[in-house]
Amino acid sequence: MYTLNMATVKLSIQDKKDLDKFTKFLALKAAQIIVQSRLGEKVQTKCKPHSSGTDWFNLAIRDLPEVLAEAKRALCGEVVTARLPLCVEISLRTVEGDSMMLETWCLGVLPEQCDPSVRVTYTVYNRMGILLKSLVSVTRVTPAYKLSRRQGPDSYVICYRIYMGEPQLHNLGEGYNQVRVGQLCTPVGTLHLSVSYRTKMTISPQNTGRDNSIMLKSDHFHPDLSPKHLRYQQSEDNSASLSDTIKVGAFADSCRQQQIPLEPELEIPNVPFSSLLAPRQQSPPRPSSVQPAEPPVETGGGAEVEDDGNGNVTPRCDSRRSSCSMVSNNEDFIMVDLKTPFATTNANSELGAFYLECQSAPQLKTFSEQPTLAEQVGDITKTLEAFETSMQEYDEMLNSLCLSDNNN
Amino acid sequence: MNARSQIFELTVEGRQVDEAVASIFHTVLFHRSVGKFQYKQEGSYSVGTIGYADVDCDFIDFTYVCCSSDDLDRNLKREISVFSEALRGNDGPGSGQISLEFFQKKKNRWPFQPERIPWEVWTVRLELIKLNNEHERQVCRERVGDMLTEKILYIAEVMNRHDYVPKMPNQSELDLIFDTSYADVQPYLFRVGFATSTPTNTSVGTTVKKLIKETLSL
Repeated sequence: MYTLNMATVKLSIQDKKDLDKFTKFLALKAAQIIVQSRLGEKVQTKCKPHSSGTDWFNLAIRDLPEVLAEAKRALCGEVVTARLPLCVEISLRTVEGDSMMLETWCLGVLPEQCDPSVRVTYTVYNRMGILLKSLVSVTRVTPAYKLSRRQGPDSYVICYRIYMGEPQLHNLGEGYNQVRVGQLCTPVGTLHLSVSYRTKMTISPQNTGRDNSIMLKSDHFHPDLSPKHLRYQQSEDNSASLSDTIKVGAFADSCRQQQIPLEPELEIPNVPFSSLLAPRQQSPPRPSSVQPAEPPVETGGGAEVEDDGNGNVTPRCDSRRSSCSMVSNNEDFIMVDLKTPFATTNANSELGAFYLECQSAPQLKTFSEQPTLAEQVGDITKTLEAFETSMQEYDEMLNSLCLSDNNN
Repeated sequence: MNARSQIFELTVEGRQVDEAVASIFHTVLFHRSVGKFQYKQEGSYSVGTIGYADVDCDFIDFTYVCCSSDDLDRNLKREISVFSEALRGNDGPGSGQISLEFFQKKKNRWPFQPERIPWEVWTVRLELIKLNNEHERQVCRERVGDMLTEKILYIAEVMNRHDYVPKMPNQSELDLIFDTSYADVQPYLFRVGFATSTPTNTSVGTTVKKLIKETLSL
């Protein structure tokens, strides 16, 4: 705000005061609209012929005391325009303690785009009202709205957080959307309101099926180590190529493809536990990926181990928080190293390996041994010839069938 | 002056027509309504407060927001249902369009009616489809919901542009800009019109009709 120029100079003290006040209430009311739209209930407010002191912008927005307190705490009562952006983060928390950030609403200001001629008391105030109406409408159409209407104490609840500063969008997962709700010009810059929302919802009823629930139960004692939580942090860096971001499951045989030539053709490939017999391999190089947003948590010294002595190759976990990782070829499957308390390290790895062997079946030979076109044509010709020679047999069989039909 | 025109095209099942149109028009009207003006002496006035309500659609996976004014809702729904019935009737054409037009009035010399000058027109073109089973209906519920999401975002974008809206009038001219017939809200003057033949013919047809009407009214 200090770089402001002529515009601020021209702005009268009264206008400046008004503008700050309007902006503060815009922020407070925006927070109310967003949070109230995520409570899971339909909102209805009444029209009033006479506005009262709390009815800002001629829009009947209820003030929930708790939200007001949170928003005021974030704003700190300072000159609001100088401290924007203000963000309201909406997240989902399951009964198991998993949480997932759904969207972040952001009210920001661009000081370089200002309109000194605009009238604060009239035009700015009215446009703030329109911006809030747009906010009311848009809050009902982002994916989090439907989720919030279905929340319940035995499935998941929606949480919010209000903070000042640049929006933290890295937890929204890959391919999040950003939508502009609206903007308005003021003498000190352009106020803009936007939302960024998650598009990939991985915690959903169909994904908490039987198979996954067995594995996911293992984080009872470490609510922070939710694999889903981890997963979104891993996608912070959008520039990383796909191959960099692919993770290998905790027990997954990361070198399966290299093993195939070692086995004789006639042996049945991928016998359960076969990896125990295979020579030890080096794990793939650590992906050039991102640091976790939160400080790493130490987990019994197991996280850095590459080879656990059972012959299973355990790739290093990217975030170093635990040996959680996921199977690369199955988006929805997340596996957690079973860290049973008081048990020796990786007592369950055989089970895990067995599970993975079964889960990802080997490629069918049909696909690896494709016959040439000539061979295929030859096969067809042979088959046709065989059919022709056996024509007599078929006729006889047909006749016998007809006869037996008649008998019945 | 040319009116701004926004056209939305949607493909819906018959029973989704009313809700699809209402969600768009109500969102527009919510933005294009102000609180009721209360005039005091000496020409000063106070502006009332607009309440709003969430509306869940029955046949579309969608929730929209409207002004909480029963009268406004009733009037709009009535207009839409006339269109919907014409569109869905047995001999209905299967496609049609409905427009929400905002206009201001310009006083004419007595005895002529005030002239209506439109400044913004929102048109929804609908094409009806027939669905065979519940699965298709479920898909359609979601698809139309997604389409409406796009439309709502677009409406928000348009509303936040600094485009022309009529100037705030004096008390004597309030009726030339706003519809003051509602007790709780004060929308800009608007009317709803529709046509249920092929859209290209209609626009020409209505223009000609309008020309003739206007000539006669002079």
